Amino acid sequence: MKTLNRDIWVFGDYRNYFQNRVTLQLLARAGELAPKTGGSICAIVFGHDIGEYVSEYIAHGAEKVYVVDHPQLKQYSIEAYTGLMERLIKAHRPEILLIGATCFGKEYAPKVAKRLKTGLTADCIDLDINKDGLMIQTSPSFGGNLIAEILTPNNRPQIATVRAGTFQEISHNADAKGEVISMPIPDDLPMERVRLIRSERLPKKGRKIEDTSVVICGGRGMGSKQKFKKIFELAHLMDGEVGVTRPVVHAGWSGPNTLVGQAGRQISPKILISFGISGAIQHTAAIDDADFIIAVNKNPNATMMKLADVAVVADANQACLAIIKEIKKKIQL
Amino acid sequence: MDFNPCMKHKVIRKSVRAFAEAELGPIVSDLDREARFPWEIVEKMRPLNFFGLQVPEKYGGAGLDSISYAITIEELSRVSGAMGLSITVHNSVGAYPIVRFGTEEQQKRFLPSLASGERIGAFCLTEASAGSDASGVETYATIDGDEYIINGTKIFVTNGGVCGLALIFANTDIGPDRKAPSIFIVEKETPGFSVGETEDLCGMRANPVSSLFLEDCRVESMHLLGQAGDGLKIGLESLDVGRLGIAAQALGIAQAAFEVSVRYAKERQQFKKPISRFQTIQNYIADMATEIDAARLLLYRVCAMKDDHMPFTAEASMAKLFCSRVARKVTEKAVQIHGGYGYSKEYDVERYFRDAKVTEIYEGTNEIMQVVISRSVLTRPS
Amino acid sequence: MLNLIVCIKQVPIVSELPWDSKTGTLRRELAEGMVNPSCKHALEAAIRLSDQHNGKITVFSMGPPMAEEALYEAMAMGANRGVLLTDKRMAGADTYITSLILARAIKKKCPDFDLVLCGDQTSDSETAQVGPQLAEELGIPGVTNVEKLDLSTHTLCLERQTDDFLEILEMDLPGLVTISPHYYVPRHVSLGGVQQAFDYPNVDILGTDDLELDPGLVALKHSPTKIIRVYSPATEKENIVLKGAVKRIVNELFDRFGDRIGGAMGKDLKTHDHP
Repeated sequence: MKTLNRDIWVFGDYRNYFQNRVTLQLLARAGELAPKTGGSICAIVFGHDIGEYVSEYIAHGAEKVYVVDHPQLKQYSIEAYTGLMERLIKAHRPEILLIGATCFGKEYAPKVAKRLKTGLTADCIDLDINKDGLMIQTSPSFGGNLIAEILTPNNRPQIATVRAGTFQEISHNADAKGEVISMPIPDDLPMERVRLIRSERLPKKGRKIEDTSVVICGGRGMGSKQKFKKIFELAHLMDGEVGVTRPVVHAGWSGPNTLVGQAGRQISPKILISFGISGAIQHTAAIDDADFIIAVNKNPNATMMKLADVAVVADANQACLAIIKEIKKKIQL
Repeated sequence: MDFNPCMKHKVIRKSVRAFAEAELGPIVSDLDREARFPWEIVEKMRPLNFFGLQVPEKYGGAGLDSISYAITIEELSRVSGAMGLSITVHNSVGAYPIVRFGTEEQQKRFLPSLASGERIGAFCLTEASAGSDASGVETYATIDGDEYIINGTKIFVTNGGVCGLALIFANTDIGPDRKAPSIFIVEKETPGFSVGETEDLCGMRANPVSSLFLEDCRVESMHLLGQAGDGLKIGLESLDVGRLGIAAQALGIAQAAFEVSVRYAKERQQFKKPISRFQTIQNYIADMATEIDAARLLLYRVCAMKDDHMPFTAEASMAKLFCSRVARKVTEKAVQIHGGYGYSKEYDVERYFRDAKVTEIYEGTNEIMQVVISRSVLTRPS
Repeated sequence: MLNLIVCIKQVPIVSELPWDSKTGTLRRELAEGMVNPSCKHALEAAIRLSDQHNGKITVFSMGPPMAEEALYEAMAMGANRGVLLTDKRMAGADTYITSLILARAIKKKCPDFDLVLCGDQTSDSETAQVGPQLAEELGIPGVTNVEKLDLSTHTLCLERQTDDFLEILEMDLPGLVTISPHYYVPRHVSLGGVQQAFDYPNVDILGTDDLELDPGLVALKHSPTKIIRVYSPATEKENIVLKGAVKRIVNELFDRFGDRIGGAMGKDLKTHDHP
């Protein structure tokens, strides 16, 4: 497909607006890229009664908003949304389409890319425009052990998904002006082959370990189930969450929902304190994004100790007790 | 001659390794410390055919070839020497003698519960006065009509504490004033059959090695394996197979010790560089790698000979002698490479070191292996 | 009879990745392969469905010749037959071309399928794109990250958690699902299963010509996306080592990094230290 313009489109994914700001973050990045492509920043919104999102997107940098507002679109529908995006893009032919890597976005983007016979890069950690005007899509693989730079040189649009938190949103500007282009729902959308029977917001399971800024990780080096409880105490004290390795789960010291690793959760806290973990790749692949790592281990040669910003050579259990004591002292003072 | 592992053997290795690392890996040091036999793991192993490795499929086994068998034991032992031991003893000297020498009636009756792991098998030769010398066996089975009455005490029985079925080496009368060893299949619920205390051993601590007592144990004559007086023949051939399993076990332990040593040598820094950059450590690693490779080739060759129905008694003894020796040497070097940490219970190498030693002792001591090998060599027509 | 397809990928075992320390790249040819963990969950889901509904399972995989092993592993777990798509011209395919080739193979070898099951993503490239793109290419509905499946006559009832919602969906068949690795914990491979798989081998090996793909198709050339550079992320950690008596180290830890620790907690730790 040849493009008609150099516009950058951002899919408006508002279902979790208050939890997930990825659309706003993408609008901000689109704003930084647009001067390099020479196009405008566009948001695409499907749904019903979505005026508030349209104005939010304009306030966060969208210059144009394409809107399809219809009761039939009240709930997210993968098939209808794919059909709509396909038609819109075929009609307007933008240069770039950015989609937030939410669960929906990860399902949606591949289908859209396939329909449009173009390329797609998943979970980009950076986006830029090279000297030829192509979008450089930087994407991790092997649990972050490898980084690849990817181009879609010949097909349009260039499509990428991006996880929440990768870019910074710009601040809300109530005075910003944008053009709203309302479109009717096409009457030839095919029958839905996937039908939503029931949808309910999951009960808030408290905060998720993925989102917290303090994570305390404990391994078998803590010694015993009894001693391991100190990990929970420290996490509580620091208002953080507990993450554990597979052997800890197997030993029954903590539940499988606390497993941090390739098969469990990926975390990106501001601070990670790791006690008695040797650092098998299955675990360390999931903690790459921690800003600052303090590792405690008796063995200074443990892999975990090499990965740490600060490696504390000590018995994990004793050090945990000492840190708890120290923090209690400081908080009380 | 093809030295590359075939696809089937690669899949077997991967599957057993995945099982062992996922299920045994997290608890193996606890099992050793607590000297606990993991029944919960046995439950998981049962549907996966670990208890019927070479039992024909019609009796619920996997019907594996002998190299697959060796790889299975090797990979279990790479994670837990004690579970490798349990499984190989159950299969090689518990189930195999019935597969090889049992009548159809005996196979139908005993193999399904062995192959499913419902009954764990044990093999009982050793007594206070009999070990390497099988003629010292004092356990006796006297004929009483259509039954045998067995009396005696067996010691150092691997799987003893958990066995559901034991093959008992006992003397029987085979003529006037003539006695000879025979083998009886005895189920644990037989009146008069009882299990002694678990031995407190240096290594293989998760395996409940214990004494077995037989006091006026009555069994029907269909429990006699082969003919009366066939005990030595059946026992020796079964032990040949048992030795392949022990060789595989020793190899698995050596492999584990080798892998952790290589990793440690690359991590451990002394004089501002990894110790793997010192020539002494490099020499250790080179020798370990070479010996393990030679041991593995020797073992797989004997397994192939067995499946080709060639005589393999001397070669089985060579494999057992060599693999167990390699295991002892490699685990000892592994401790040395780890220095003080290697002597600490916090690391696995001290367990490998303790577990490895006994492979030179059981299923025929290495001195007996040398007797078997030298006899074969010296009686060969020159 | 329920006709199921599972697509699996052989991926390098991460813990054994041979890294070239000089170039920071992966020497992939040296890596041992395994079935991608998430694909095993899909296979487990298929086996359970097949057991309930008297089905049969065909496993497809695209990859180097050694990926045949993955198909045998799948058959040892319970699949009935395997199809390996392997050809030098398929190398370097991105998700667009991979889904195109898989769809062609499915239409050729197993056109009457009811349901295709895929893992939710691979452990190597982690895109999660092949499943949804394969659904598009086959022209069938597709749903990702499915936790549980329940099959009635012509529709499949699906449960999934997505973006903090619990969704119950109904999908027409034929269709495609990708399976989220929570509910369908894969069984261990039984040794008898391995023996059976090799006793009765049932694997077709197909190349680009067998699939009657465009004779000019070269995956690397025709993939819309091009990898222009691959590198290991630089680690710029200082790796400060603290050792000695525990109490003293912990004091030092808070003296030097108390602001960082406090910052993450949202509390001011350091200033209170020396009032």
